[in-house]
Amino acid sequence: MSVADLPKTEANVLRGHEGAVLAARFNSDGNYCLSAGKDRTIRLWNPHRGIHIKTYKSHGREVRDVHVTSDNSKLCSCGGDRQIFYWDVATGKVIRKFRGHEGEVNAVKFNEYSSVVVSAGFDQSLRAWDCRSHSNEPIQIIDTFTDSVMSVCLTKTEIIGGSVDGTVRTFDMRIGREVSDDLGQPVNCISMSNDGNCILASCLDSTLRLIDRSSGELLQQYKGHTCKSYKLDCCITNTDAHVTGGSEDGFIFFWDLVDASVATKFRAHSSVVTSVSYHPKDNCMISSSVDGTIKVWKS
Amino acid sequence: MDREEDDFVFYGTPIEREEEIISRKKKAVAEASGNLRTLVPWKQEVRDEEGRRRFHGAFSGGFSAGYYNTVGSKEGWTPQSFVSSRKNRAEVKQQNILNFLDEDEKEELEGQSLGTSLQFDTFGFTAAELARKQAEKEQQKRPSAIPGPVPDELVLPSTDSIGVKLLLKMGWRHGRSIRDSHTNKSYDARREARKAFLAFSSSDAKKQTADPESVPGELESYIDLPAGDDVQSSESTPVYVLYPKQDLHGLGFDPYKHAPEFREKKRSRLSDNKGIGYRSALSMDNNLFGFKSGKVAPGFGIGALEELDAEDEDVYASGYDFEETYVEDIDEPSRSIMQGKQKSVRKEPGVLSGFRLALNSDYQHERFDPPVVPKDFVPHHKFPGPLETGYKLGDPGPPEVLPPEDSNLKLLIDGVATLVARCGKLFEDLSREKNQSNPLFSFLVGGNGHDYYARKLWEEQQKRGDHTKQKLDVKLSPHMQKMTAESRGQILGERPLERSAKDSSSSATSADAIQLQYNLSDTFTKPALHGEMLEAAKPFKEDPAKQERFERFLKEKYQGGLRSTESGGASHMSEAARARERMDFEAAAEAIQKGKWSKDSKLSTSQFMEYLSSGGMQFTSGGLAQAKDTQTENSITKEVHLKRKEYQWRPSPILCKRFDLIDPYMGKPPPAPRMKSKMETLIFTSDSGKDTKAEEIVIAKGVSFPVAQSDAQGLSKDVADKESEVEIEAENVERPVDLYKAIFSDDSDDEEDTSIHNEVGNPEKKGEAANTTLNRLIAGDFLESLGKELGLEVPPELSSSMNKVGNSVPPKGTATVNSVDSDILRVDNAPSSNHEILHSQEIARDGPRGNIEPVNGNSARSNSKYTETGSLGNQFDKIILEKAPQEDRKAKTPSRRHRNLSSSSSSEDERSKKRSGQHRHRYSDSDSDSSSDHRDRHRSRSKGRRKGSSREKSSSSSRKHSKHHKHRSRDSPEKERSETKRDKHKRRG
Repeated sequence: MSVADLPKTEANVLRGHEGAVLAARFNSDGNYCLSAGKDRTIRLWNPHRGIHIKTYKSHGREVRDVHVTSDNSKLCSCGGDRQIFYWDVATGKVIRKFRGHEGEVNAVKFNEYSSVVVSAGFDQSLRAWDCRSHSNEPIQIIDTFTDSVMSVCLTKTEIIGGSVDGTVRTFDMRIGREVSDDLGQPVNCISMSNDGNCILASCLDSTLRLIDRSSGELLQQYKGHTCKSYKLDCCITNTDAHVTGGSEDGFIFFWDLVDASVATKFRAHSSVVTSVSYHPKDNCMISSSVDGTIKVWKS
Repeated sequence: MDREEDDFVFYGTPIEREEEIISRKKKAVAEASGNLRTLVPWKQEVRDEEGRRRFHGAFSGGFSAGYYNTVGSKEGWTPQSFVSSRKNRAEVKQQNILNFLDEDEKEELEGQSLGTSLQFDTFGFTAAELARKQAEKEQQKRPSAIPGPVPDELVLPSTDSIGVKLLLKMGWRHGRSIRDSHTNKSYDARREARKAFLAFSSSDAKKQTADPESVPGELESYIDLPAGDDVQSSESTPVYVLYPKQDLHGLGFDPYKHAPEFREKKRSRLSDNKGIGYRSALSMDNNLFGFKSGKVAPGFGIGALEELDAEDEDVYASGYDFEETYVEDIDEPSRSIMQGKQKSVRKEPGVLSGFRLALNSDYQHERFDPPVVPKDFVPHHKFPGPLETGYKLGDPGPPEVLPPEDSNLKLLIDGVATLVARCGKLFEDLSREKNQSNPLFSFLVGGNGHDYYARKLWEEQQKRGDHTKQKLDVKLSPHMQKMTAESRGQILGERPLERSAKDSSSSATSADAIQLQYNLSDTFTKPALHGEMLEAAKPFKEDPAKQERFERFLKEKYQGGLRSTESGGASHMSEAARARERMDFEAAAEAIQKGKWSKDSKLSTSQFMEYLSSGGMQFTSGGLAQAKDTQTENSITKEVHLKRKEYQWRPSPILCKRFDLIDPYMGKPPPAPRMKSKMETLIFTSDSGKDTKAEEIVIAKGVSFPVAQSDAQGLSKDVADKESEVEIEAENVERPVDLYKAIFSDDSDDEEDTSIHNEVGNPEKKGEAANTTLNRLIAGDFLESLGKELGLEVPPELSSSMNKVGNSVPPKGTATVNSVDSDILRVDNAPSSNHEILHSQEIARDGPRGNIEPVNGNSARSNSKYTETGSLGNQFDKIILEKAPQEDRKAKTPSRRHRNLSSSSSSEDERSKKRSGQHRHRYSDSDSDSSSDHRDRHRSRSKGRRKGSSREKSSSSSRKHSKHHKHRSRDSPEKERSETKRDKHKRRG
């Protein structure tokens, strides 16, 4: 994919959140997107038409992350109220609340079969919650982290968490191993490459780091943006050609994955770009910002 | 009631007895027969069938009313039935008071009711008729409350009541209060006077009272005077004539407030309307709808079938378009016909009544001719200042000079000239300053090659001038372009910025600076410098293809930003080769620049080669790290391979199930706690615990907290001291062991241990020396058995005790992330130096223990488990070292375990001296199932760690810690943040 195809043109602006938008996520097929914000709501949008579809209200504090199942039927969200909410998308009702984290919950993800929600919490733990049973107890607590866990990624067999203690830990369920890669810098957000071989970790020293998962090798570092105090998302484009991420000055950066040069950057928002999410197939991206907007970018 | 009663005097009401009631009943029956019927009604008593006296009327205080004081009956209270069917519609019954009254009550009401009747009139309804006429007359004068023609039948004008008429006849007038203040003396006096007056003119009195208006002036004034005197008392509430609100102005808003003339005009217009025919259907639109027609909000049309609604009106329109409405009215043809006469008057709506338009106005718009442009004016702006570009065209410039024979010097001069041309004079000044002592740069101050430099500079400027001239249509004027931050700063007398200084001094950032320059001004399409650079240095001469790629690379590099897809240009090359080559290029570019600006340009090639080689080395060793990065700020060695550690991790079976995986531990016994990680976390947590606790203490004491690695040693000592203090403090707190035992019975193992410790403390103190040999034996035994049982060395005991200290303490960086309250998730830098600090502390840890030892020696019965284990451990350290000196540091934890265990066993031993072997048996019992215990403990421990609470913390000291922790974690975010900031600062600085 060439640089010209990168989504740099603003296609839509989704307005509606009052206050900062903390997360914006495409659904699995990229037709819809979800956003979560400081206004304690989760909103469902059609980013391609710029339509606000639904608002999910129940959280007591800010919503920090949201994830939708691959069949688009359920949502999970988490936030400052220390709970994970398990929603029904269509009715907008909360099916279940998972309580147990002793601190704010930073990130949440469904597994492949949407049967487990894994949450990353400020209480230094990753917790897995069972959506199938009616138990409200976590089915697994991973507490080897020594600091707040900021982000979590799931593969078919692994749970990967990134923490402020500077480690990215991979928990492999097949062999029962935990692999800890110490980046030395607080990890803000982790994101998987589409081939699943690499992990992109956003560190608080304004650097994105690309790690080879199998060897633990630091493949590349991406610099130029500012990320010193906020949780900023980063992701790899769907072709694995570029790395993108927001900056605290409102810019969105695209780096070449291989040579780490800034492929392009542009001012996207007037304030901190909190989250970016790349379309699973098209050259399309959404970004959210503290300025309360979600922008849809197309090439 | 009987005869005897006559002899007694009774006070009060006699209490009725049962017999009496019965007798009364008889009496009632008798009365019913008729002998009492003749009594006068007020003497009769109403009694029920049982002979009880009853009052009628529940509301008048009777003792029994209705059916047992209810509204019901014997059959119960049946509410009014309501049946309504389609055929038989239930009538709505109007209830009034008569429905609920008895006949006699009704009669009473009839007799008492006294009301006024409007119809009271001697001559029938003439009064009403009169009133109507009066109203009609009035209506002519003022607008009616209901605009438009109102059927007479609907609205009857109210006539004055008879009372009002009487009052009027008595001299009362509207607006006057009836009840004058009688306390007023003057009033009395006046009254007297009036009486006298009335009496005096009794003959005329009737007339005068009938029509007070016609009272002779003298009297009138006399009566009126007091009203003027004290308005307050004599005047009642004024009678307002309520004009209906017909406009759309806000309440109380008077658009004519400052223009009364218009009000007059409006009134006249209204009266005109009335004059034409107030009741005509035509005028309806004026009153009812007419005014609305002009008020429709602009921009919103109304369909033909739609009715004009209230919401169609423009609420925000000002009231001033009233005149418009009126103009519209005129335009209606039917009206205009009818109002032909008025129309002529209204033809000039802008003219006030009593005015007419002036024929020639005083005010005339004055117009001036535009200034005349001088014929010789050339529309061309000359920019002030001798700023070079383009305007030295006429200037022939310094004469052509042959370049100096030294090619290096020539190169240098060329480069400087180019840069100076681009960056301005400031650059020259700076480099002159910097290189004063350097003979190579003597051309700047007029030495060798100065002429050539001057010429070159001029040429460059010329070049650039041409360039910018072409670009003139681009908004940047050359002047503006020249006005860089530096020059501006210079003008303002500021210190030159760091960057500009670096430009000449540090070659490392020069590339950045150049790039910045290029990025800043798009006017440069072709960087002169790099072209020159290319000319100057062709590092890959031997390989033209590579050289070409290198050139392209340079171009891309300095053009910044966008990069062509095949950036390497070598599609046939492998990724790795391409990457390597790229690194080479980077290094080469770096070297070229360096060479350009290094003091000795002669060295440039060699230097470059050196660079290349070193760079190559660097890259091969360092993998894919950017040369630029390494050159710039962070000269930290790259960790290419991250610190990778592997631990065992046991997923819960259900998790595996949910992930559709086979549990790797299926069927296997629960895993033994992993050694490495355990040790890791153990050391880490305990130390971090210590660390944070130290922070706590230090902060609490107001001492600044240096988190530098170098300080760590001293600090830890400090910490240890403080800790020991805390420990000692903690010792004094009594620990309710039994309670804990009762609660945490599953942890009984631990508890027992500690309790044993506690109990044993004293005897141990007594016979330390005597016991050592025995202890050793026992310890050896115990360890052996344990080792056999587990198959490996596990130090759970120690870790538990350590954890007790450590786990209670908050995770280090956690609190920092608490600052999430700020706008979005704020993640402060977690102290990654944790490790180092902790490590050093760990090292320093033995020291403190040594310090503590004497303390412990004295207070061996301390409740604090930590200190005790410490002391005991120390004590047994010796023993074990005697026994197994081959244990190296790696096996430290196990050894600790030994210590711990041995300590416990030793204490056990001591006890066993006192008690029987029974106890020992129990202990071994607990050992036998130690494997499962371990697991349990491991879990519970982890739980405890997570919670940071006192599940395992039986010792009060650790409870204290936990308390500290809680307190701290609650209010510490700021503190923590500041700490981390400091930390960061420190690390950076």
